[in-house]
Order: sequence, then structure tokens, then C-alpha cells
Amino acid sequence: MLLAMISSIPLFFMLMFSSGGNVIAHGLIGAMVSSVSFVGVMAGIQDISWDRYVKIREMIVAMPVHPASYALGIALAPLLVSIPSLIFFGAITAYLGFLTLQTLVWIVPALIIVWAAMSTMGFMISTYLMKSSTMMLNNLSNLLGIGFIFIPPVYFSEAQLGNLSWISVIIPTSNVAGLIRSYMGLLPLSTETIIIRWTVLIITTLAFVTLTFIKARWREK
Amino acid sequence: MEPSAVKSVDLCKIYHSKDEIEALKGVNIDVSQGELFTLLGPNGAGKTTFLRIISTQLLASHGDAYVLEHNVTTEAEEVRKHIAVVPQDVATYNNFTPWEYAYYFARLRGIPSSEAKCKAQEALKAVNLWELKNRMCQTLSGGERRRAIIASVLSSNADVLMLDEPTSGLDAVARRGVWSALRELVRNGKTILLTTHMMEEAEMISDRLAIVNKGSVVACGRLDEIKSLVKERFRVVINGDFQKISNHIEVVKLGDRSIAYLKTQDEAIDLLKTTLKMNLRAEYSPVTLEDVFVKLVGGFNNHENQQDIA
Repeated sequence: MLLAMISSIPLFFMLMFSSGGNVIAHGLIGAMVSSVSFVGVMAGIQDISWDRYVKIREMIVAMPVHPASYALGIALAPLLVSIPSLIFFGAITAYLGFLTLQTLVWIVPALIIVWAAMSTMGFMISTYLMKSSTMMLNNLSNLLGIGFIFIPPVYFSEAQLGNLSWISVIIPTSNVAGLIRSYMGLLPLSTETIIIRWTVLIITTLAFVTLTFIKARWREK
Repeated sequence: MEPSAVKSVDLCKIYHSKDEIEALKGVNIDVSQGELFTLLGPNGAGKTTFLRIISTQLLASHGDAYVLEHNVTTEAEEVRKHIAVVPQDVATYNNFTPWEYAYYFARLRGIPSSEAKCKAQEALKAVNLWELKNRMCQTLSGGERRRAIIASVLSSNADVLMLDEPTSGLDAVARRGVWSALRELVRNGKTILLTTHMMEEAEMISDRLAIVNKGSVVACGRLDEIKSLVKERFRVVINGDFQKISNHIEVVKLGDRSIAYLKTQDEAIDLLKTTLKMNLRAEYSPVTLEDVFVKLVGGFNNHENQQDIA
């Protein structure tokens, strides 16, 4: 929680030096989306590194515990820890006038779905990493963070991509960031576009859930 | 004869990597309910593979295995209700207390909170950790941490406990603490399947044991039955440059020390007298499990095997 708070320090610099409030709002949206996405994609990968040390998973496999409930627990734990930072960023956004109760009704489900999408993606990727070294796992986590959070339009508006702005729709993190911007009035999107973006988000999430269920093995072969 | 708790029939496991590795080659083992059964073998013998198949963590390539008459492949969910496992080289979460280990593991099995508290209390008392129940694991000794993990499987109230080298890395005092807890569990009716490469451990706590080498069971039975598999009953350890005096005596050279293996006590005493006349220091004793193990996995003079065991 403390680290999440500290990670928002750049936002204060943006607050101090930026000329307009919109830049801060984009940064806050990015912070909220990255909070839930990063813990999601990290959960499955960190589970592999932890299992090599504490071997809790080996003990749990041999218990009457369903694999889905284990995976849900592993993914939910860091999400719960990230809630205080979400509240913190949300409070600043509300203070700046970008977040209202009506927009919150849409933003919360969007954040939950992107967390689910990134968590299942993390678990799916981790099925290919069972034999990877700890260094490889750490590097991959950082790369995924860069690839899903810092390069796509999560911290900045997709409008800056011009003709390539469609890319933001296919990446769950930037798709959700775009939807939140739209609900906050920072990105003009038509109702049809919003419906398409929600549909793509749900389909992407379901695809990752399905792939994880197909690929993941509770018992080794 | 007690009914079977764990049974394997021609159990085979082949790992497909660059080369095919046959980790288990038709293992047949029958563990009775309420006994402590040890799989003894050098590193890479197939002990962990066997345990992981029995505990439903790994699929066998061929053969069948049963826990309390439930097939581990086709009835894994039923098997999991009756077993609890402590993997090899397991570590504790530093910020967990022994109480949290014992309580949460009971809760993970769906045991209601009030009952889980009772189970956790019983488990911690059984492994003699009740006084330390609220101390964080990072402040406990290695042996206490290992016992905290054993408490976590005990609180599950499982009928069959499987422990993979539970005392590796522990000092002698800590090891005895774990042994004491395990024997107490057997006295209370639990079945324990344990793996180890330590002869002393196998000798001290097992009701029965199987010697496993290169994926096969070399010998299986009670300690006295295993020891009777070799014809030599006594050994004389001789310090100094000892020259073999008879071709009928099997002698193993260990640098400036020799071990002679003999069939009878009289032969051992005769050899002792001879060595004394040669001004060499010597002492005799019955053969140990280690001697029998070395003989069974490759012969007294197979130094390659002796180094494996060391």
C-alpha cells in the first residue's frame, strides 16, 4: 500500500508543473488502471516464483481445493492490497471534479474486468514458464508492465495516436482507460463505439479465461 | 494384517525431456494403515516421483496406485480428502505464525472455523509447538518451522500423511523433535509415508521400509528382514594398513581405514584378535542399515554407489 502511495509521487509533479487539469486526470486514470492490471498480470507469474520457495501450491494440489478457487485467491489477494491506492487516486480524481457517482458505476466494473483479463492472461503466460529462472520471471513481469501499461495509451489519451488509436481497443488496459476517459468526459466516444469497446473487452477477457482453463494443468503430466 | 493405506502396482514414470528418463520402473509397494513406511534411497532414486504420483500431483506413465483403495488417477478428488503432503525443501512464510499455518490449512479443507481452531490446537500440541503458536515463523528455528508445516498437515485431520525428506537440513536435536512428533502420530493411528536418504532416520523411526535405487525397489520389509538379506552379520572397522588375510572375508578400503564384513560373531572376534597382533586398532559391531543398503544397491566395493550415498 505504501509503495502504491509512493508510486503516485510523479502525479504531484504533474500537478505542480502542468498547465491544465486534464493532464493530471489522464495520469490518475492511468494510475488506477495500472494498479489493477499490474497486480493481475503479476499474480500468476509471482505464484511460480513463490511456489519454488514456500511450495504452498504443491501442498494445496494434494488437498480437496478446486484449482479455480486457488487461482481466484492468488489473484484476489493483491487486488485487495491495491484497493487503498485505488481509493487514494479515485479521491483525487473526485476532488478535481472528474469522478462522480454516475461515472463510478461504469468505472468499477471496467476496472474489475480489466483485472480479470490481466489475471487470466498472467496465469496463461505462467503455464509456459514453469521451468523458467527467477531472473527470467522478474524480467518478464517488468516487460509485461511496459507492454501493457506504459506503451499503450493508458497514462495518456489515445487521441494522441491519431490514425492508430484503434490499437487501444484491442489492448484491455488501454481499452478500459479509454472507456474511463469517455465516462469522465475526456474522450468523446459515440454510444456505438462504447458498446463495441465493452464487447471487445468482455470477449478478450472470456478468451483469456478459456485459454487458461485449456492450458493450465493442476496435476503435472 | 492391517488393510492397505497406500498401494502401487507396477508403477512407472517416464519423463520426456531431451532424453527419456525412466524415474520409476514398475514399483510395487503396499503400506498398511497405521504404520510409518519409509522409502529409502539415494538422491535421484525416484522417491519424490513416487510420492508426487501417490499424492495426486503427478500422473504416472503406467501402472496403478491407490490410497485407501481409491485410484490416484481416476479418483484424485476422493484421494485428496484423505491425504496431506509436506513437499521436499518446503519453507515457511516468514510472517505467518504456527497457529496461522495450522488454522488456515484446516480452513482450506472446508473445516468450519470453530472445529478448525480445535484441530489447530491439537496439531500444535502434537508437534510440541503450542507454546510458540503466536511467534512469527522467521523467529523460529529450522526444526520449529518444519514442525509448524507438519502441524499444518496434521490439522487437516488427514488419514495418510506423506512427507518428502522432512528432516533434511535439520540438526540432530531438531531432527529428533520431528521424529518424536511423527512416532506420536503413528501411535494415534495415522499412516505416514516418508522419504529419506538418511539411514539413521530410516532405522530409527520406520515400521517398515523399502530401499529404492534407480527407480526400482531393491528390498522391502521390516528392518530385521532387510538386514537379513545380506549374509554378513558383523563388521570390523580397522584403522591402519590392513592386508587382506583371507579371500572369504569381504573387505572395503576407505583410505587408511578398512571395513571387513563377516558372517558370524566368532569370525569377527578372530579377526579382531588378528588385527591386535598386527598392532592395528579395530572394533567390531553388527552390520548397520547403511552397510546393507550399500551391499544391496551395488555391493560393498562399488565405490561409485558409496559416493552417491555419502
